[in-house]
Amino acid sequence: MNGFLEYVPGDSLLHRLNPVTKIVFAVVFAISCFCTSNLIFLAVLLAAAIGLAASCGMLKQTAGLMKAVFAFSIILAVLLLLTNPSGDVLVELPWGYIGTGSIMAAVATILRLEAAAIPLFLTFYVTKMTDMSNAAVKVLHVPYKYAFTFASTVHFIPVFMNDMRSIMEAQTARGVEFDQGGIVNKVRLMVPLCVPLLVSSVRKTNSAAIAAEVRGFDLRTRESGYKTYPFTAADLAVIVLAVAILVAAIIVP
Amino acid sequence: MIQIQDLTFRYREGEEPVVEDITLDIPDGAFVGITGAAGSGKSTLTYAMNGIIPHCYPGDFYGSVTVGSLDTCETSLTDISQLVGSVCQDIDSQIVTSIVEDEVLYGLENFGVPHDQIEARVTEALDAMGILDLKDRVISSLSGGQKQKVAIASVLALRPKVLVLDEPTAELDPASSRAVFELLAHYAEEHGTTVVVVEQKIALLSEFADMLVIVDQGRIKFADEPRRVLAHSEELLALGVNCPRSTTLMNRLANVGLYAGPVCCDVQEASNALLEVIA
Amino acid sequence: MIEFRDVKASYDKDIQVLDGVSFTIQDGEFVAFVGTNGAGKSTTMRLMNGLLKPDAGQVLLDGVPTTELKTSQVAKRVGFLFQNPDSQICSGTVREELMFGFKALGESGPEVEARVDGVIREFGFNPDDDPFLLNRGTRQLLALASIVVLAPPVIILDEPTTGLDYKECKKVMDIISRLHEAGTTIVMVCHDMEVVADFAKRVIVMTAGRVVDDGPTFEVLRNPQTLTRASLIPPQVVDISIALPLMDERLAASPVAFANTLDEMQAAVVEEVGE
Repeated sequence: MNGFLEYVPGDSLLHRLNPVTKIVFAVVFAISCFCTSNLIFLAVLLAAAIGLAASCGMLKQTAGLMKAVFAFSIILAVLLLLTNPSGDVLVELPWGYIGTGSIMAAVATILRLEAAAIPLFLTFYVTKMTDMSNAAVKVLHVPYKYAFTFASTVHFIPVFMNDMRSIMEAQTARGVEFDQGGIVNKVRLMVPLCVPLLVSSVRKTNSAAIAAEVRGFDLRTRESGYKTYPFTAADLAVIVLAVAILVAAIIVP
Repeated sequence: MIQIQDLTFRYREGEEPVVEDITLDIPDGAFVGITGAAGSGKSTLTYAMNGIIPHCYPGDFYGSVTVGSLDTCETSLTDISQLVGSVCQDIDSQIVTSIVEDEVLYGLENFGVPHDQIEARVTEALDAMGILDLKDRVISSLSGGQKQKVAIASVLALRPKVLVLDEPTAELDPASSRAVFELLAHYAEEHGTTVVVVEQKIALLSEFADMLVIVDQGRIKFADEPRRVLAHSEELLALGVNCPRSTTLMNRLANVGLYAGPVCCDVQEASNALLEVIA
Repeated sequence: MIEFRDVKASYDKDIQVLDGVSFTIQDGEFVAFVGTNGAGKSTTMRLMNGLLKPDAGQVLLDGVPTTELKTSQVAKRVGFLFQNPDSQICSGTVREELMFGFKALGESGPEVEARVDGVIREFGFNPDDDPFLLNRGTRQLLALASIVVLAPPVIILDEPTTGLDYKECKKVMDIISRLHEAGTTIVMVCHDMEVVADFAKRVIVMTAGRVVDDGPTFEVLRNPQTLTRASLIPPQVVDISIALPLMDERLAASPVAFANTLDEMQAAVVEEVGE
């Protein structure tokens, strides 16, 4: 059973890359998506991102993510459609119009968010959090405390989601109907559950801090890490590729 | 190994001391079981041994706790941790990584174990808990018993002189609980490690511990060989500690004059004793 | 009546947890489910109160498949005590916590108030206490009380005694035992074999998603094949009673070889020695 943002073991090229390479690639890729409005180029980027997901066997999770991003980006797209009059007039609105340009902008937004999100998201699934923070400490010289805090936060997401699930189950068993009524009803029912979740998360974080401390958290330095994260030719190639994509995104009209 | 002298501790937010006038001497290499009713102060007693009090929880600390040659009040928590390994009650919050091997590596890296020894230490610790085959597994996919063994292995890798465990079998089924105790006992004997374990399952303690400590309302009521402690089954019951059924059975037979031998601590002893009674 | 007909179920659609489970629990029974962690016991409990729906087969409550019942309808018939009371308790006072289920079901009025007051007295709570400041055992009792107050004909308990000390455990089990005597059907998952032996009338043993034994408590706990297959450790008195005839075959017909409880064993020994 794999939770949200939990590492999925594997042996794909993506799994084997240096964690830093993965982060750099994902970030540069995302920036590239925001540097271009060319629909064809965005479509190519999206296709490439889906290809990446396929290459490490993560299509199923990616489909889930795409659905979520789509729901979010459609809201943005509709806003853009209504507030960004450009191109040939298609529909007159009291405060402007919807034009061909508006539609292009809306589609671009959806493509852009989808394409940008996938590699970032994949990075979490193909990289162990420990590797990510260790590499950040070793290679990028990030202070260990910050790296560890970040890693722990991500590490605890599935734990808290699990807690939330058992809390909701317990309330369902007492007749609370989360599946009935609209979103307002659902939120209204969920608010009281935040109390037990908060109580258990405060307890958990507290004992996690103590547990880390008794295992020598304070002693850790940049040299402590056992694993090394060397850059290979593949890493270099991937970074060059990322830069090339970025340059292309800026140049392509 | 551990000397507790007139220890009294009150958490800052509490009104009453949680442990009071505790004096306890734990010899080197002992396997000590601590039990008592909920809220009796048994967890706090272990916090005193691994330095979590006074270092993590503020409060009034009277008396002294010495582990090895270190006074826990004057030594930093990190230094105490080099000597005392702790396994917390909540396994989920103790685990910091997603892969078994990384979890064992974590402490080794922090304590600066030379890199050329790390591989061997990881293997040794996983092997001691019988989970070498789980090395590359994702921790969240393991069963409760396996997770607990990972948590213990990650502490054993640090080769502590003292191992303190707070209810290590709370979430486990009887077979896995037993397995954990067997592995612990075996490891401790082989390495001369002192083990202190808080546990509700009195039957396991009676069978494995050399010293049974009963805590009640912050005070130690009994601290002796299990056999001697279990002789007081009526008194224990009043303190909310139920003896193993095999002990109770033989104590009852002793009360009606059918049995005059020593107190039995487990099924094996009781069966042997019964056979003699009947013969 | 709860009926499982060849139920298959999985978690997150990936891992199959139940692989063809069938049994029937009649009204008024006291059934314990035992087996190692991961045998599928908790999943079975979740199926029983409709939190989880079967992938194949049917789970019937009084003849109606759970797939056709709304969660609130199931909640009225089947109360569920979770292993960890903290996932259940969410109110600011003991009284509010006990009212919570009625609110969720949309019920109120003087009868409800009277029922809540009755349970507060029965359990000996202080209605104004903050549940989060109570200790673990009392929170478990409160979680149980908040189920009991709804008076469901069936109560499911997922490891009701885990994390409790002997006194708390006894208190919880005494209440459950009283409910059973008053006619409530009790279904529990329990690791503590002594508790199972003391209270359950019937035991269902699960291993790897299947039922491997089902019958009267001591018949099951004395079955050597079942014990090995499900890695069960029998209650200590039963263990001794099984061991004795193996150590001395002359005892095979002795009452000690059939004693299940402390009292029975004591009487058997007295009888054996007296002869």
